[in-house]
Amino acid sequence: MFGLTIKQLSAVLFLGTLVLGTISCAASASNEEFFGRTEPPADNVLRYISGDEPESLDPQLSSTQPDARIFLALYEGLVEYDKKTLDPVPAIAERWDENADSSEFVFHLRKTARWSNGDPITARDFVYSFRRGISPELTSRSASLAYYIRYAESYNQGAVFVRDPQTQQFLLEKDFTTASNTIIPLSQTPLTANVVEYKPTAEEPTPDRDTPFHQLMHSPTRLTLPGNEQARAAFLAKNPKLQTAVAGREFVKVKGEDIGVEAIDDYTLRLSLTQSTPFFSGLLANQFFRLVPQKAVEQYKKDWTNPAHIVTCGPFKMKSWRPYNELALVRDPMYWDAANVHLDGIRFFPLADQPTMMNLYRVGEVDAVANHSIISAWVDSVRFKKDYMAAPEAAVIYIVMNVTKPPMNDLRVRKAFDMAIDKETALKWRKIVKPLKGVTPYGIFPDYPEPKSNSFDPVKARQLLADAGFPVIQNSNGSYSCPKFPVDQVEYLFPSASSNKITAEFWQAQWKQNLGITVPLRSMEFRTFADFRSKLEYKGFAFGGWVGDYMDPFTFLSIFYTPENDNNTGWWDQRYVNLLDEANRITDKQKRYAMLAQAEQIMVDAQPIIPIETGTVNWTKKPYVKGMYPNASSLFPWKYVYIERDRSKWDYGTPSLAE
Amino acid sequence: MLRFIIRRLLITIPTIFVVITLTWGLIRLAPGNFYTAERSIPKAIRENIKEKYGLNKPWYVQYGKAMWPIVRHLDFGNSLKYQGQPVSNIIARSLPVSATIGLLAYLLALILGITFGSIAALKQNSAWDYASMAVAMLGISIPNFVVGPLLVMVFSLSLYWLPPARWGGFWSKSLILPVLTLSGLYMAYIARLTRAGMLEVLRSDYIRTARSKGLRERDVVIRHALRAGLMPVVSFTGPALAFLLTGTVVVERIFALPGLGNYFIQASLNRDEPLIIGIVAFIAITLLLMNLLVDIAYAYLDPRIRY
Repeated sequence: MFGLTIKQLSAVLFLGTLVLGTISCAASASNEEFFGRTEPPADNVLRYISGDEPESLDPQLSSTQPDARIFLALYEGLVEYDKKTLDPVPAIAERWDENADSSEFVFHLRKTARWSNGDPITARDFVYSFRRGISPELTSRSASLAYYIRYAESYNQGAVFVRDPQTQQFLLEKDFTTASNTIIPLSQTPLTANVVEYKPTAEEPTPDRDTPFHQLMHSPTRLTLPGNEQARAAFLAKNPKLQTAVAGREFVKVKGEDIGVEAIDDYTLRLSLTQSTPFFSGLLANQFFRLVPQKAVEQYKKDWTNPAHIVTCGPFKMKSWRPYNELALVRDPMYWDAANVHLDGIRFFPLADQPTMMNLYRVGEVDAVANHSIISAWVDSVRFKKDYMAAPEAAVIYIVMNVTKPPMNDLRVRKAFDMAIDKETALKWRKIVKPLKGVTPYGIFPDYPEPKSNSFDPVKARQLLADAGFPVIQNSNGSYSCPKFPVDQVEYLFPSASSNKITAEFWQAQWKQNLGITVPLRSMEFRTFADFRSKLEYKGFAFGGWVGDYMDPFTFLSIFYTPENDNNTGWWDQRYVNLLDEANRITDKQKRYAMLAQAEQIMVDAQPIIPIETGTVNWTKKPYVKGMYPNASSLFPWKYVYIERDRSKWDYGTPSLAE
Repeated sequence: MLRFIIRRLLITIPTIFVVITLTWGLIRLAPGNFYTAERSIPKAIRENIKEKYGLNKPWYVQYGKAMWPIVRHLDFGNSLKYQGQPVSNIIARSLPVSATIGLLAYLLALILGITFGSIAALKQNSAWDYASMAVAMLGISIPNFVVGPLLVMVFSLSLYWLPPARWGGFWSKSLILPVLTLSGLYMAYIARLTRAGMLEVLRSDYIRTARSKGLRERDVVIRHALRAGLMPVVSFTGPALAFLLTGTVVVERIFALPGLGNYFIQASLNRDEPLIIGIVAFIAITLLLMNLLVDIAYAYLDPRIRY
């Protein structure tokens, strides 16, 4: 068995999945109301399949969504996701204030919050956690989520400040910047006597604004340079003005103490940001911003997540952990809202094989399964059951195009390939997914204006190809061919999974039928694929997708924000970035959305991607599981979940996400 | 004999070293990295990761860093994917699971395989022979990723007798289906090998001699025929046991068992270098030891073989 290569092995596993899928599916073709047995468990403990084995129980180290679901039980942050809308709701922070341009936040912590060992939770715990998460030594892969915090990016990158050894003055960024139209956010403008940072609330006086740290935050941004000597030398070589200014100065490493996180007192936390970030409070529910216990981390180092050492702050705490088998949690009596936690415990089962998950669900060994546990072959036998959860998902799927290589560097060719796909037919055939016009998902942000995208128009597509120098000829039998098109320069690259192959064949057939071009298909093992795509080594087309990190269109639009090819297409436009920056400074939601949409339109018109579909959450829960809603990211604040034994109060169908 | 064993054990060490080196090299050749994900990580964070794990060093430094703790303390380091977990802990935790399933499947395969194989040989060309060989043929040709789901369909989804997956402990109902699935192929092989070996031996001169001396048929079969007839079985079951004990990818996957095989496949897909090297080294050692045991068993079973 071990003589197999990875490819063969994946093929065998895939076949296994398929066989298991087909066989088990055949066994379930019945007219039952629900998918499998609906006997509530004897004890008040939820059994949930969380997906892949957790990478770590350290919320700042693991960035995956299956792990996020576990962290929602074990840890809490300043805010928590709303169970339906995923908007930020108070958690350890009772309430918070935002300054006029959303570049500074003050959080008021509740005084009753405690760790699972009984220690009180204070603002200093947040200062420690944020500094640790951002520190370069931790190498958290989510650290970039915190780059909005002042100097966080520099700290994470190991950058240095430049200081004059005599005067102890730091060089300032504004003296060396080349951009002319930079707008300084309110968090960085000097505080004069008549500035009102926050609207005064009746409950408490506004926090002390005269702390030395706060004054420092409100002074001009210091210049930072790469910490690595070679990188710094290379950077300075390109800036003669900087080179002379730096001569004779000393370099001071950016430290954790420099980032814009301040404990004003035990229960007040102030965050200074680099820019206007209206969605920042929503971002804070991400696992990266949840609390980690300083004492345990410092005492046990990397072993602090061992069941014997772990200290948590969520509604549930660790009972036992057997990797690849079961993570058992129990209700934490120390939790500030323990009275409102319904379940006595949760058992998380990490599993990767979808048919196996659904079999366990069917026989009643588990009460709910992770999102996307239903393989496409099963969808038809599950989606009409009353325990099937259907709702739009904050996830999109598209085809990326390599705009750096011919023939896809020609906008007309990219448009032609987009227009040649009949997406309406595709949607009907894919059954459960929703349309997609740009890169922001459909139906997730209700007031967000949809961009205008190409409609299905094979005639115009052929015309565009002809304009680009690849005339499409109609053959005598009515089919098309495009002899001049360099077919050997394109292919559609996708990660090997059955569902990807089926859709790939659909696009291929559409292009063949409408353009007369047969794009070769090529599948790859996932990491090989991701490597190829990120290095822009693919030719023509590749599979693309994105899952939102927080509930704001910007989480999707930011894919195209950095020039460093996070979008795997090679496309980048300064105008796009400027519009996004400008939009994020607008506090009026409607106006901000309009400007974000304007930016999105620039991207859609440049067509680095072919939008395909908005995802749909796709999982099942037993009807007796209540308080668990099919929200857009399948993230469940577990304290609201309970087991209902009265049949008349069960969920018969998808529970409504409306209030 | 003792010199032979010592010599074989000494050869094991360089062999393992070569296996580990090759594995290390192959992981380097595979595109992608343990931190490759659907979304690309900012360059600065990638640099931090490279710095932390020494991935920005020349290859010989990386090789030395990987090998030295192994040579020095047999320390395989920590998993890169399951952050902070030592490879030795992962192996120590998952081996008992694989070994339990594997050993039970092995014993089942051995007992039933030898029984059916012997019956088939003794009653050659009878209905017994045809029936058991037909079943054996099915066992060999139906892969376990079909057998497993079929068993699940019957015993879990239709009859609700047994759990369809998951590890329920070392003595639980959840062991039954994986053990049955796993043993099928080996049982079939052993039955066929036993039959072939027995048939050959039953026709040999010394069996005829034994019979003509008036020995009871039971003694002829058990003391003489079976002992020699099992030689091919022994050479097959040695390496087979090694594979069974160290985890079987497909069965562990189908039944979601926290065994070595499951970790091995995940480690390869995750490019989890220390974990891959640790498991490969462990499997290689087990395999070499099992082969040694086979050779010793040969010498014991067949008086004609001496080392």
